Amino acid sequence: MTTTKDFINGLSSKLGRPTPTKAPTPVEISVPQYRLSNTEERVSIFLQNWHALGGKGAIVRSENDLLQSLQEWFRDQPINWIKENKLALLAWDMLPTIAESAFSSLNWPLTRYTQSSLNIRDRYSIAAQAELGVTGSDWGIALSGTIVMNSNPLRGRAISLLPPRHLAFIEAAKIRNNLFEVLHEVSALGTPPAAIEMISGPSRTSDIEMDLSIGVHGPIEVYVVVIQD
Amino acid sequence: MTMYNLTTDQRVDEALANNFLRQATRRATDRLRNNKYKAADELGNWEEWRGAGETIRKHVIANLDYYLNQLIEQMEKRGVHVHLAKTPADAVGIVRKIVHEQEAKNVLKSKSMISEEIHLNHALEKDGVAVVETDLGEYIIQIAGEPPSHIIVPAMHKTRQQVADLFEPIAGHALSSDTPTLTRFVRLQMREQFLRGDIGITGCNFAVAETGSIVMVTNEGNGRMVSTLPRVQITLMGMERIVPSFRELDVLLNLLARSATGQRLSSYTTILTPPKHSADSDGPEEYHLVILDHNRSEILGDELFRTALNCIRCGACFNVCPVYRQLGGHAYGSVYSGPIGSVITPLLEKDWKKWGHLPYFSSLCGACSEACPVRIPLHDLLVKLRMRKTQSGHTPQVEQHIFKAYRYFFSREKTLRRVLRIGAHLQRPFVRNHRISGGPPPLSNWTKSRTLPMVAAKPFMQVWADLKNKR
Repeated sequence: MTTTKDFINGLSSKLGRPTPTKAPTPVEISVPQYRLSNTEERVSIFLQNWHALGGKGAIVRSENDLLQSLQEWFRDQPINWIKENKLALLAWDMLPTIAESAFSSLNWPLTRYTQSSLNIRDRYSIAAQAELGVTGSDWGIALSGTIVMNSNPLRGRAISLLPPRHLAFIEAAKIRNNLFEVLHEVSALGTPPAAIEMISGPSRTSDIEMDLSIGVHGPIEVYVVVIQD
Repeated sequence: MTMYNLTTDQRVDEALANNFLRQATRRATDRLRNNKYKAADELGNWEEWRGAGETIRKHVIANLDYYLNQLIEQMEKRGVHVHLAKTPADAVGIVRKIVHEQEAKNVLKSKSMISEEIHLNHALEKDGVAVVETDLGEYIIQIAGEPPSHIIVPAMHKTRQQVADLFEPIAGHALSSDTPTLTRFVRLQMREQFLRGDIGITGCNFAVAETGSIVMVTNEGNGRMVSTLPRVQITLMGMERIVPSFRELDVLLNLLARSATGQRLSSYTTILTPPKHSADSDGPEEYHLVILDHNRSEILGDELFRTALNCIRCGACFNVCPVYRQLGGHAYGSVYSGPIGSVITPLLEKDWKKWGHLPYFSSLCGACSEACPVRIPLHDLLVKLRMRKTQSGHTPQVEQHIFKAYRYFFSREKTLRRVLRIGAHLQRPFVRNHRISGGPPPLSNWTKSRTLPMVAAKPFMQVWADLKNKR
């Protein structure tokens, strides 16, 4: 069994010097980063790119706007899903207020993933049988049409993964220009959460004859609601 | 007979005779290459990004001992089990031990080139463990019992009908060969597996030294499944996959997604900083990181080839290589094919007899070096590998004799003149339009697909002498 010290010393000797005790000076990085001038532009480009990837999205300014979007996207499906499986709509413990209130008005009961069962394996089964996973987002990336979510005890990574549909809410002010800006803020967290998931559209593959096919493992349909103040 | 039992010539002949393979390879590499061009253009000054990528990778490799140590410290501080493997056998042994201790029966894998490099599946299957490749392309070649033919699109050599035929015995009924049907079948089939998995094994695109994080990119979501659902996760990483911090990660993720598939970011980019926090409602409880050397430290110590460690495994060099585009990946015979495979395989495996053909799977046109997002001078490394092979005395005897003869005649002017005169006579039956075509072996090996210039009726040395006399 190789010890870490032997392993590292072996590398230093290949590099022809002792192992550095101080951190090397970071390299200078200067690359042209994509930047937009304001939130409105970022929201617009973010949604444009999200649509191009095959996702559906809308900007909402009020609960009425949100109700309209949800009804347009899902019609009365959630009522039918609930009839079949009362845990069909699975969500984070806390969603933006406007989302909580819209689901309540529509009488689409949300099951909180973390409280759905005490047993982790059962929670996975519940998520696998759910029809819709509902989450918030910590950041968005305009350039790539990406939503970014940190894991934490009130959330659950499986909600955006196992159900065939994923609906994410994001406040307009959380949309950044590019990946660099998001990673810069991740860095500022100190220790990152156990998982940061960056999602750009639905699950996809081109593994068979380079033919694009949607929804091989992750969600088949992805929806994003941008909440504009 | 599998491709592993064939000689290089047999593999090449097979590839050249397989029209579907050649068309599919062309089509896929054209698509990937054109997507890359588009994605590179829209990023702004691509050369500045490449320059930054090159600088970052060189810096990491020059300080690999520091950053690897930092990564290990960060990981161990949080309770991650870090295992260091000098050889593929060590790595396989480590994984087998974990699987045995966990009494695991079902192992799920997302794409990992390291697992291919160490031939992990075979070892686990021999232990009676069910190993399931969850990436669609990897799943197809796992059933077919074949190695990947492209680093990004591993089953590009299979037709949809071949895929349907492979899936049918598992489905237990006939399957239509349209892509949505095949994808849906895999989704349903794999769902049960995901929920049943005891251990998840993933690869690692990058490891962030500063925070002890692992970064994985996938498009299907299988990487997320494998790194979320099983109780225990094992990540396999080549020891050079490091970035110092999130600052450098930005550049490399942009370069990777755009160079590999032409995406701005892959569908899923996951940054894991394991293990899960005690109150988290999901994620693996136990996390093992296996770091593989497998002669990478030898490459690190070899200044001629150190830049080969800068590779970020995007596959862009495959898509522009005229040799790869004609043959596909299997003709190479190695786990890593394409230009980068031809460079690293002889260095990792250290077996000229088996892998000495690889540096010659190149026209030295330099397209690979131009395509590389971190500017590895691949064609230059291929030339140096040829030199290294020659120095080690592993060139074929015929070649050695030819060069001995070349040295003999070119250091004896009179003899050379005589030989050229004889050559000018002997070539006559094979000369058409001032070029030599046809002829007996070994000449025919060359002339069956191209011609040679004829030996001039009046040698240059004679022309030169005549010119001098005229003055």
